[in-house]
Amino acid sequence: MSASKDSARGAVRRQQRKYKEILHLAVSMGEELLKNGAEIYRVQETVEHVMDALGAEDYNVFVLTNGIFATVHENREDSGSMVRNVPIGSVNLENIAGLNQLSREICQGSCSIKEAQRRLGQYQEASTLPHRESVLACGIGSAGFCYLLGGHLLDCMMTFFLGMMLQSFLLASEKRQVSKFLTDILGSAMVTIGGLVLYILNFGIQFNHVIIGGIILLMPGVSLVTAIRDLFNGDYLSGGIRLMDALLTGMCIAIGVGAAIKLFQLLGGGMLPI
Amino acid sequence: MIIQIIVAMGSVLAFGVLFHIPKSEYLYCALNGGIGWAVYQICKDYSFGPTASSLWAALVLTLVARVFSAVRKMPSTVFLIAGIFSLVPGSGVYYTAYYLIMNELHKSTEKGIETFKIAGAIVLGIVFGLSLPQNWFNRLGRLAERKGQKKK
Repeated sequence: MSASKDSARGAVRRQQRKYKEILHLAVSMGEELLKNGAEIYRVQETVEHVMDALGAEDYNVFVLTNGIFATVHENREDSGSMVRNVPIGSVNLENIAGLNQLSREICQGSCSIKEAQRRLGQYQEASTLPHRESVLACGIGSAGFCYLLGGHLLDCMMTFFLGMMLQSFLLASEKRQVSKFLTDILGSAMVTIGGLVLYILNFGIQFNHVIIGGIILLMPGVSLVTAIRDLFNGDYLSGGIRLMDALLTGMCIAIGVGAAIKLFQLLGGGMLPI
Repeated sequence: MIIQIIVAMGSVLAFGVLFHIPKSEYLYCALNGGIGWAVYQICKDYSFGPTASSLWAALVLTLVARVFSAVRKMPSTVFLIAGIFSLVPGSGVYYTAYYLIMNELHKSTEKGIETFKIAGAIVLGIVFGLSLPQNWFNRLGRLAERKGQKKK
């Protein structure tokens, strides 16, 4: 009698462990997607599909821009729940695409839990770009936009250096975990000051175009796109968070630019022809 | 014009690298950025305002991104985020702050409202593009797959 009870209890415990594992895998995948800037519905659907594919029957998932809540088998003995706090991180589209592929494979049944955990671990390891490469990319991008917005060749060259400076600054502040708003304000102020100094030193540049090219990288294009997608999928709260993020970032850039110009005006005693 | 499009593709790609676009999609993201800029310029040539031009460019961008996502089996965000960078109203934000500091409030307000209008137009363009039913694009994707198999 007692032996059969024990074995039943063991079975429940095994079941519990199994569903914990599934829940952990699904929520971790969701967390990784969310951290890398995926839309809410994609995160939610991925978690649900993975749970479905691995055999969980009764589950609930709730995703916000900065958190995931999930429970499995609420009314049974093998119930489990998980809450994750996910701060808004930097965008990594490669990971989103990779995780999307992984979840597709899990749903087709061609990827075991063990294998999925291993691949998820690969994505979780910080895959940052080499610094030199990202600095160069930022310089080229800024110079290109300077040209598109009407800059001449000389302006583009100056923007190239300002863009590299900006990206180096962003990398440094990321390392020291400076708040995002401060980074935006200081970054745009730095670009503006750089542009104005070059202008005053008589390099013969159109400082407007140089500065605009430099601050394009800071513009909240990604937040804006994600906000819209969230809002129109019916995730009003998450979309609102992103939209607020986009608007505040835009305002921070304006503050940085404005403050830098004002500083130069004061220093020049109104003599500067800007 | 052609130089402009090439530069747009290059700079979109450069920023795309910062957002870790998958290496296999570099070409398509750059293409999307180039298409967005081309549409924007063509609209401007036909004397559309910057707002209307942004609307059309965002719409075309979104549709192209969805076609690419169906054909390449990638989340459409990858192409959309890369492409939209060429439309973001960076100059609007700059001039708003600039004129505000210069105490030219009239111009500053004008630029500020224009920036919001452009942002709104981009939003509308994306929304229109996203609201088309997904199975149209799925069909396109299947068509492309079949063609690819025939070639093999």
